[in-house]
Amino acid sequence: MSATVRGDVLAEPVLRTENLTKRFGGLVAVDNLSITLAGGRVHAIIGPNGAGKTTFFNLVTGLLSPDSGRIFFRGRDITGARPHVISRLGIKRTLQVKSVFPDLSVADNLWITRQARNRFLHAFRPAARDTETRLRVEETLEQIGLADLAARPAGTLSYGDVAMLEIGMAIISEPSLLLLDEPTCGMSPAETARAVGKIRELSRTIDLVIIEHDMDVVFGIADDITVLAQGAILASGGPAAIAEDERVREAYLGRPEDEDFVEEALNA
Amino acid sequence: MKDTVLLLAMNGLIWGLIIALIALGLSVIFGLLDIINIAHGDFFMVGTVLAWFSLSLTGNFWIGFVVAPLVGFILGAVIQRLVIQPIHGAAALSIVATFGLSLILQETVRITFGATPGRILAPIPGTVHLFGVDYDVYRLFAAAVALAALGGFFLFLQHTKLGIWMRAVRHDRETAVAMGIPAKRVYVLTFGIGFALAAFGGAVAAPITTVDFRGGVDVLPFCFMAVIIGGLGNLPGTVAAAVLLSFLEGLIQSIADPTSARISSLVLMSAVLLLRPQGLFKGFAK
Amino acid sequence: MRRRSLEIVLAMVGGTFLISVPWVIPALIDSFWVSVITEILIWSLFASSVNLLFGYVGLLSFGQALYFGFGMYGVALGIDHLGLSFWPAFGLGIFSAMAMALVSGVFAVRLSSHYFAIITVVFSLIFYFLAVSDKPLTGGDDGINFSLPPLFSFDGKVFSLTDPTLQYFFVLAVVSLCLFLMHRVINSPLGKGFLAVRDNDLRASLIGLNVYVLRLIAFVMAGCLTGVSGALFAFFGRYASASYMFYQVSGEAVVWTIVGGAGTLFGPLVGTALFIVIREIVSSHWEHHSLIVGLLAILAVIFAPKGIVGLWNGWVNRPGEREAPRPVPQPLTLQAEP
Repeated sequence: MSATVRGDVLAEPVLRTENLTKRFGGLVAVDNLSITLAGGRVHAIIGPNGAGKTTFFNLVTGLLSPDSGRIFFRGRDITGARPHVISRLGIKRTLQVKSVFPDLSVADNLWITRQARNRFLHAFRPAARDTETRLRVEETLEQIGLADLAARPAGTLSYGDVAMLEIGMAIISEPSLLLLDEPTCGMSPAETARAVGKIRELSRTIDLVIIEHDMDVVFGIADDITVLAQGAILASGGPAAIAEDERVREAYLGRPEDEDFVEEALNA
Repeated sequence: MKDTVLLLAMNGLIWGLIIALIALGLSVIFGLLDIINIAHGDFFMVGTVLAWFSLSLTGNFWIGFVVAPLVGFILGAVIQRLVIQPIHGAAALSIVATFGLSLILQETVRITFGATPGRILAPIPGTVHLFGVDYDVYRLFAAAVALAALGGFFLFLQHTKLGIWMRAVRHDRETAVAMGIPAKRVYVLTFGIGFALAAFGGAVAAPITTVDFRGGVDVLPFCFMAVIIGGLGNLPGTVAAAVLLSFLEGLIQSIADPTSARISSLVLMSAVLLLRPQGLFKGFAK
Repeated sequence: MRRRSLEIVLAMVGGTFLISVPWVIPALIDSFWVSVITEILIWSLFASSVNLLFGYVGLLSFGQALYFGFGMYGVALGIDHLGLSFWPAFGLGIFSAMAMALVSGVFAVRLSSHYFAIITVVFSLIFYFLAVSDKPLTGGDDGINFSLPPLFSFDGKVFSLTDPTLQYFFVLAVVSLCLFLMHRVINSPLGKGFLAVRDNDLRASLIGLNVYVLRLIAFVMAGCLTGVSGALFAFFGRYASASYMFYQVSGEAVVWTIVGGAGTLFGPLVGTALFIVIREIVSSHWEHHSLIVGLLAILAVIFAPKGIVGLWNGWVNRPGEREAPRPVPQPLTLQAEP
């Protein structure tokens, strides 16, 4: 799957949903959501807790199937497809709770992510013989700065390093569309800066959709922002427009007069 | 022929009530502690042995009804504390642990009680004429006792502090702990209760089955069937499934043979696992 | 690295020992122990199948005895009823075990964790009861005996497994081949795929691995190993019995694997050897050796959950070495479906 170069506005939006709905018992998590995300731009999805952001990602990546509605990836209907099929079409994601393969080494985590792109996994040939994969793993390790931790089991890494590994796995899989679910969640300011730098690099060649709570990050890298509340779009637009939108402030803070949100946003 | 059908069906119904007690113990352990307890059949077997020893030592059968659940509870609590807790109830490791426990229980009984099966004569002799069939009075009595025990247990769950704690922890462990419920203690007591239920079932069933160190082997799959078909975490469902399965097996036995009956139950269980893993009975859960 | 050289020395000593068994053992102890070691090798394959599924894919199967039974009866019935000679019967045993593993795996592998373990037992129980009830065919619990066709004929001389030395080397060769193949698979891309599924099946599907297919492949491979084990057992004892299909047999193999070390290549062999040796030594003096098995299982689970070989790996502390699987907290559980 070839990556998109930013600046190309494709005729077909990268991601489009039509009346997407998902219910959990009596709770409507995603409510008749029709969203269009154009290619070549960094999208952020924000909103208060329980707004349906992660559910949206889960629906797009096939972990959940919608109750009604359709999902289109570059014009192709992927509604109801299985997770691994969607992954092989080029959509990759990170999870809210950082999730890698804990008993595999850092290098092997990258290795298997790369190999998963192949149709067949060879059964009797030693893995070490695959030089193309090994070179890519080494390259990616350099890129994410984990080269000296290559042999460590991923489960022993610090939280920030696990997040970098996840980003590395996202890079090495050469996605067509990358969904990042709260990439800076739980990170220290230094780790956040490091992650944001990496994400900016990625955004030059890969279409990105990011769920974030950290407004500095959002207003720093997003071109378009969509605000979800209670499973539906509350507002969407560029950072400036969103920062000034009264409804958005209300949804987050409940007090239309609250200035801090706007401060934060405009000073990002 | 009709007599046999009726007889086997009634036997099935009554045995189902007793098994429901044992299966309930497993459901509590499996549902709350998430442990596949391979030794559960042996808990039942220990109950039958305790009944036998109570009878032979005191001459009084009914003492077994107190001794079995009491000893069972203590043993269960100790086992949970010493064996299950150190491994934090990890799924695979607890299977191995309970498998080892099963071997230990069987061999200990074999050493103390011996390898020859024993029989306990019905403490209430005689038959009664019911639905055109002569039926053992003790079997009817046993069914009544099982029913009372089941009722008592559900009352316990609803109205006592421990019962409420057990339900809370099963429903949502984290919230329960946050509310100040001592989860670890609940686990210890739950395992004890599971053992006690099975052992009590054993004491009640002792006169209508054999007392044998291998007596748990047959009971175990049946208990799991009841728990799965009834629905994991669904206690009334487990009871209903136990009774239903036993009744059905009794019916099938009258037209075929015990092995075929058992095979059909197993096939049903596979179907439930594959098609409707939450069990057949909805609406009672939690 | 000191550890590498220590392991190489151990491997050479172990290898030399195994090759010299038919001569060294009768000289030092008793020729009876040659057949004990043969039996250990056969059962260690059974344990290896459990290990492949649990240690490398994260699936705890409590019903491998089913495929053991198919391997065993494939050989026995092939020789006794179909009049097959040695190699076709061997092939029949392995093939029927794999076929059965495929058919049951298609269903079983859709479940995970507890439910998977339970359904593997249920499947094995169904066939156990079927086998027990069809006494004319299977001999039930008593089993059937048959006479062994020759291994091959060469220049007029007939070679048969009734010769304990030949039998020992045959079993050793087959088991070594199987372990070698397992080693290759584990270190292959497929093997890494297995590990990924074991560690985090949700993540595995998100990077594009078909979790269901991978688990099924592993299940059939494990069925093959168990089938070989069952076939060898039938040749070894000239005997097949339904009692070997009971869940207790599966359970013992799980204990051997975990005590020996799940997720390691030689763990099952070590665990099987330990328990069978204990059984042989203890049961000649005391009939309640199961008590010791049970105690050891519990002690191992509490104090050495990674098993003997796992402890060894940890003691010599090689970083990056595969550890025994442990539960991974996940936000969503994945239902593997075809």
